[in-house]
Amino acid sequence: MDTLNFLLGGFAVALTPENLMVAAIGAFIGTIVGMLPGLGPINGVAILMPLAFALKLPPETALILLAAVYMGCEYGGRISSILLNVPGDAGAIMTALDGHPMAKKGLAGVALSISAWSSFVGSVIATVGIVLFAPLLARWALAFGPAEYFALMCFAFACITGLMGDAPVKAALAAVIGLSLSTVGLDSNSGVYRFTGGDVHLSDGIQFIVVVIGVFSVSEILLMLEQHHSSSGLIQVAGRKLFNLKEMAQTWWGTVRSSVVGFVVGVLPGAGATIASAMTYSMEKRLAGPGGTFGEGDIRGVAAPEAANNASAAGSFVPMLTLGVPGSGTTAVMVGALSLYNITPGPALFTQNPTLVWGLIASLFIANVMLLFINIPMVGVFTKILRLPNWALVPGILAVSAVGVYSVHATTFDLMLMSGLGVAGYILRKQGMPMAPLILGFVLGDLMEQNLRRALSITNGELGILVESPISIGLWFGAVAMVVVPPLMRLRAPRHTAAAAA
Amino acid sequence: MSDRILGAACVVAGAGMAFAAIDYAAPISYEPVGPRAFPLLLAGLMALAGAWLIARPGPKGLGLAREHLKPIGLAIVAVFVYAALFETLGFPLATAVMALPVGMAFGGSWKQSLAAGVAMGLVFYVMFDKLLDVVLPTGLLSFVLGGH
Repeated sequence: MDTLNFLLGGFAVALTPENLMVAAIGAFIGTIVGMLPGLGPINGVAILMPLAFALKLPPETALILLAAVYMGCEYGGRISSILLNVPGDAGAIMTALDGHPMAKKGLAGVALSISAWSSFVGSVIATVGIVLFAPLLARWALAFGPAEYFALMCFAFACITGLMGDAPVKAALAAVIGLSLSTVGLDSNSGVYRFTGGDVHLSDGIQFIVVVIGVFSVSEILLMLEQHHSSSGLIQVAGRKLFNLKEMAQTWWGTVRSSVVGFVVGVLPGAGATIASAMTYSMEKRLAGPGGTFGEGDIRGVAAPEAANNASAAGSFVPMLTLGVPGSGTTAVMVGALSLYNITPGPALFTQNPTLVWGLIASLFIANVMLLFINIPMVGVFTKILRLPNWALVPGILAVSAVGVYSVHATTFDLMLMSGLGVAGYILRKQGMPMAPLILGFVLGDLMEQNLRRALSITNGELGILVESPISIGLWFGAVAMVVVPPLMRLRAPRHTAAAAA
Repeated sequence: MSDRILGAACVVAGAGMAFAAIDYAAPISYEPVGPRAFPLLLAGLMALAGAWLIARPGPKGLGLAREHLKPIGLAIVAVFVYAALFETLGFPLATAVMALPVGMAFGGSWKQSLAAGVAMGLVFYVMFDKLLDVVLPTGLLSFVLGGH
């Protein structure tokens, strides 16, 4: 019953006028960012994070804004998938497979509304999942010592590199680069300045905002230059705007199944919306059997991946809130945002800062109701925004990004560093290096080093403590399995499933 | 650029990190693991990953088509110039100056890009600085807008 009381307390936080307004703004911006091809949740959260800080929003309000943007992106991605056949974000790739054919048949309104509905169901089921499981996990994780934490972070890196697909070495390298960037600056334990080159601007380390904006805004802009999308293929929404009861009944159980799968995938570090939607799409396709018209505009193929990507987005809050170890790039950015407020997420957060945790959870419910409303009756507004040309959009993104970076320290140095990191990030991404492990490494770097040092202080330098407790042993085994198993599976799997999962 | 160059760069970076970190030592040590261990570990991992990429390079990365070379170069220069002039010119002017090449790189005409830049510079300035209390530099326009 404790949980229910806390949840009610959370609603009291989320329902204050300020937080309601912030959630609505976040949901609206998120839908736009998600819809625009090239920009996904991580870019949206990265660009808005410094602004939330600059506007001096209290931490729970800032987190509500970022969470609403994140959820909004998962809703928005489907709009361009369906109308333009260009996924607005990575989680919406599968939605295009049946959504666009439906739109071509004149059922654009139905595809948009059923996918908004299944997004809503997915998010709500996953948020209920958070309410049920997060407090349990947090209580269990309270027993973690520094050695277990170190093992847990290694596990998170193993997951994110193992599941990142075809280039595990590059993903690991990205994580190492991120960790290295985090060591720049004053080492608080010993008072030694590391890797600063004597520059006073670097003495308290590289600002998190500078890294995030450089890597996810500046480099994204450079990547966007190569992928011109024209909105000329945009299909007009005509005819029936809303799905009917028959269509709802037809998709209901698939939506529920996909939501549960999406939630579980989301909780796992490393796996995210992309994997969740691909998994559930092929699952529903198999379950439908020969009676399905998947790939030609089957409504079930629109509902399932949308439910899954929203559920996994909500699910990814679980490791972030309970363990303090984010499982995805987007939640890593949120952890970084909290660290700006000197809040370290982790199991203690549930007891020490219930306002923040439960306010966030309650606001997820509220933001989803808003998003359902935004995405069904108001979808026409967004299709107009989709016509916004890049020559106006991109300079705007760059200007807002620079404002965010400048607002922290007001130095030209930070802006130059942002540009440099942006170009470096662009080059690395062109080399096929994923950036999510880099940001995860940067966020976790300090925590990881501190826990390693603390653990070894206990035993006076004896490494044995790292593999002493059953929890750490389990986590180390899990980490090894995550690195070893996916490549083996890929070797065994027939070619076509590999292509479907990509 | 191939994986081998990336790998070599990582080996060099790892060696450089190790070279810098080897001297990091606490004047008075309270703990068995000092400020040196973690950076050295990372340097080792970076060099190792680099060596792996040299030994077993993957398929060639996404190439850069010749037609994109100019707009990308232009955009990179514009980003750096924007960063460098942000304070001196002030936000509204710097934004207009940045939006011209960036907008053109994204297919706008020079008139469209400039107009968008000027409008954005002013609208964002009023929105952030005046309404939302995020202080922005006014630079050359400080005689009109105040601030510095």
